Amino acid sequence: MRGEDVRTLSADVVVIGGGSTGAGVLRDAAMRGYSAILLDKSDLAQGTTGRFHGLLHSGGRYVVSDPGSASECASENAILKRIQAPAIENTGGFFVAVPGDDPDYGDRFLAGAKATGVPASEISVADALRREPRLNPGIFRAIEVEDASVDGWQLVWGAVNSAKQHGARVLTYHPVTKIDVADGAVRAVHCYDQRRDEDVVIECSFVLNCAGPWAGRISELTGLPPVPVIPGRGIMIAMNHRLVNTVVNRLIYPADGDILVPVHTVSVIGTTDSKETDPDHLPIPRAEVQQMLDAGEQLIPGFRSARAVHAWAGSRPLIKDDRVSSEDTRHMSRGMAVVDHLARDGVKGLLTIGGGKLTTYRLMAEHIVDAMGEQLGERRECRTASEEIPYAGGSSSYVVTHRLHDREADRLDDQIVCECELLSKSMFTDLLAEQPTSTLDDLRRQLRLGMGPCQGGFCGTRAAGIAVSEHAVDADRATGLLRLFLKHRWIGLWPILYGDQVRQTALDQWIYSGTLDVEHLPTPSEEVVR
Amino acid sequence: MTLRQAQAAGSPAPGARVIVIGAGLAGLSAALRLAQAGRPVTLVTKGAGGLGLSQGTIDILGYAPERVARPLDAVASVASEHPYASLGADAVAASIAWLRDELGPELLVGDPAVNLHLPTAVGSIRPTALAQPSMVAADVVGGRRYAVVGVRQLKDFQADLIAGNLARSTAPDGGPVAAHPAWIDLPARPGEADPTGLTYARAMDDESFADRFADAVHAAAGECDVVVVPAVLGVRRLGVWRQVSERVGRPVAEIALQPPSVPGLRLDRALLAQVKAAGVRVIQGAAAIGCRAEGGRVASVTVAAAGGPRELAASAVVYAPGGFESGALDVDSHGAIRERVFGLPLSASDAFALVGPDFWAPHPLFAVGVLTDADGRPVAGAEPVLSNLYAAGGLLAGAERWCEKSGDGIAVASAVRAADAIIEGSAA
Repeated sequence: MRGEDVRTLSADVVVIGGGSTGAGVLRDAAMRGYSAILLDKSDLAQGTTGRFHGLLHSGGRYVVSDPGSASECASENAILKRIQAPAIENTGGFFVAVPGDDPDYGDRFLAGAKATGVPASEISVADALRREPRLNPGIFRAIEVEDASVDGWQLVWGAVNSAKQHGARVLTYHPVTKIDVADGAVRAVHCYDQRRDEDVVIECSFVLNCAGPWAGRISELTGLPPVPVIPGRGIMIAMNHRLVNTVVNRLIYPADGDILVPVHTVSVIGTTDSKETDPDHLPIPRAEVQQMLDAGEQLIPGFRSARAVHAWAGSRPLIKDDRVSSEDTRHMSRGMAVVDHLARDGVKGLLTIGGGKLTTYRLMAEHIVDAMGEQLGERRECRTASEEIPYAGGSSSYVVTHRLHDREADRLDDQIVCECELLSKSMFTDLLAEQPTSTLDDLRRQLRLGMGPCQGGFCGTRAAGIAVSEHAVDADRATGLLRLFLKHRWIGLWPILYGDQVRQTALDQWIYSGTLDVEHLPTPSEEVVR
Repeated sequence: MTLRQAQAAGSPAPGARVIVIGAGLAGLSAALRLAQAGRPVTLVTKGAGGLGLSQGTIDILGYAPERVARPLDAVASVASEHPYASLGADAVAASIAWLRDELGPELLVGDPAVNLHLPTAVGSIRPTALAQPSMVAADVVGGRRYAVVGVRQLKDFQADLIAGNLARSTAPDGGPVAAHPAWIDLPARPGEADPTGLTYARAMDDESFADRFADAVHAAAGECDVVVVPAVLGVRRLGVWRQVSERVGRPVAEIALQPPSVPGLRLDRALLAQVKAAGVRVIQGAAAIGCRAEGGRVASVTVAAAGGPRELAASAVVYAPGGFESGALDVDSHGAIRERVFGLPLSASDAFALVGPDFWAPHPLFAVGVLTDADGRPVAGAEPVLSNLYAAGGLLAGAERWCEKSGDGIAVASAVRAADAIIEGSAA
């Protein structure tokens, strides 16, 4: 139901999309003194940015296939480790050649690394195996790089919180409904506040469409010829513990299933690439799961008998527009595609951005905001590379044991809500107090609630119950939130139900259905969807 | 006669015993029944059985798929592939009554023909047939007022959620339910912020702690007909609920928590004690890993023991290892389902065809298991795989036990069937 009220706001620039690109652009624009509002149809980092493998590229992956991207990754890798270390674990990375891989590729790799400025050095196979004992003992070359593991949610929340400190505003669960274009320029963005059931109009002179795989749909709301954006789907599988503590890449020309990334308590293998039509419905095909397991087996013998805990699919946004694409514009980041609607449609104040990589999100934002300034006829300096993003809890990069360390300090005073991820009750209630309208999934992405081996089997009801006791929700909504949480966890479970995860899932069914009879709770007055 | 000679003759070796594999409700029930009939029984188990994970009541059938009020009537009309179809309602009724009488009224009360409707730790209303006397006062009846009293230090009993959900429920009799939350602040042990229900239950074994608990509940509960509390009212000492009820001055009832489940552990302890008292040899930490078959019979069961595999000569075997939850059934990374010890034929082989994207839809994977003949022997086609091998409990095909709330009834009735077939037959 649509409310009658219309709220009107104004800003210099409206950023559409709360993934890494939008978050970076918001921060950059705000730091340059533009008033900026970010809109997202759901929560921050819920799309592509929350559905990747967790790799902060060293550039190594691109030294042969895409030297420009390799250089950009190398410099941005160093910048991000400096400005937002708390979102990053400094795992380091290896490129390893397994039996059957092209033995000469390593030489091309090293030459490419040298040419592109990507730090890389060959190490002995014995050293690689000593440091990562689960690696295929048949590897015959190993090159060390500066890959790292990055938490996409922490990355985005950090950038957005920094942007807010510079005056930016953020409106999540605000899908865009229309973009007003009049007299050859953007005038306003209409959106809908789902939580308050209220229409909102934001008067603005610039719109940056950073909606990733949804950017095509956003472009349709302008009334201009739409920009065709094709989602390129990739699947990832999280294995239940750290099979490796270093990012491990295959020493081959980039292909599918050639990256294994240690992320927090799990390791993630990825990925695939296939064209889709609908970014809201990305399948996780059985065949691709099998392909990932086979690929994992090549890197880590016995991979198939390790325990998979969760799978997901994300989609890269690929722009297909042959009329005007400024992919080759001199100042644009490689891998990023920008449609300048002034050049294409004669409309001022609108850029649509596609492509890109999470590792280079800051640089992309710099270039996008530069392009905006150019169109506005002004030049303001970008400062995002030098100013550190503040995080609660310090400025060092995290280590896998960070929560165990924190737990040592509060184990006599606080309860654990989620044992798998060592999430304490106060961490949960503190964030709930800040974000009381959140779903359990919104909180999960920031806290890792239910992301460990039991996949919410023990913590889900606790979280729902605590939310009632904290007066954030009533029992009706708490029940709806629990139902939504269980439904969402299942989406990533059923494609990988084999081995020990079947046993875990049976136990979870025993608890939720057998003991708690959760399926016969009085149905919420309306099924909670957000 | 030597072992080899006996096997060649198709009869058990001297000294062979009935081997029961599994220490859940089915394994313990079968072992008890066999030992009471004078059979020599050895029970082998990988670890603690499943009762400690259970809700601590005895379900027969809760949903079919609508809420069931009279479970034995519903048992009589299950689909033909359901384990109850071959067991029959009379056998289910007799088996459950037997278990109730064995455990006695301090542990199980109720009428197998009529379901109770007990609140859960999320505030749903769950049908079950028999319950512990500490639980039955919570039976949801229209017009009653329930005080749901949580303990601040105990995270698995969220009183506000439970009371909120109960209050928006309709009782099975169609009447309204009134419920309100209340909290007490009572550490189970000084300085411990994060105890489990079991920590509290152990504390309750001390009468003075139970009194303090009762006093705090009394002070907090407010206007109500029934006080419901987390199921922590003692694990060794039975009757704590009576002590607490008297001191609170109103009926007090426990609600089972997610594992570790104190009421489940009470049943586990009591049954295991009776099994041992009846003369069953119990070997814990001994996973069955295979068997040796001779002449179409199990001659011995091999268990993993300290020091290496050990063969136990078997006159007959009751195989009650559970299903997917225990790992007795598993799925490999290609989706193939298998039974791990005997490699028994299963009702389905491809797991990936049996799970789908909707969490709330049925998950037929969890109904996969072994098919049996009328005596409970696993079959390949129509013939028993091994003439003295019987299956019981969660291993049986045909029921999504958690969803239906039927696992306990299936376990007990199939265990009794297997035991009785061994007792009556020539196998023993």
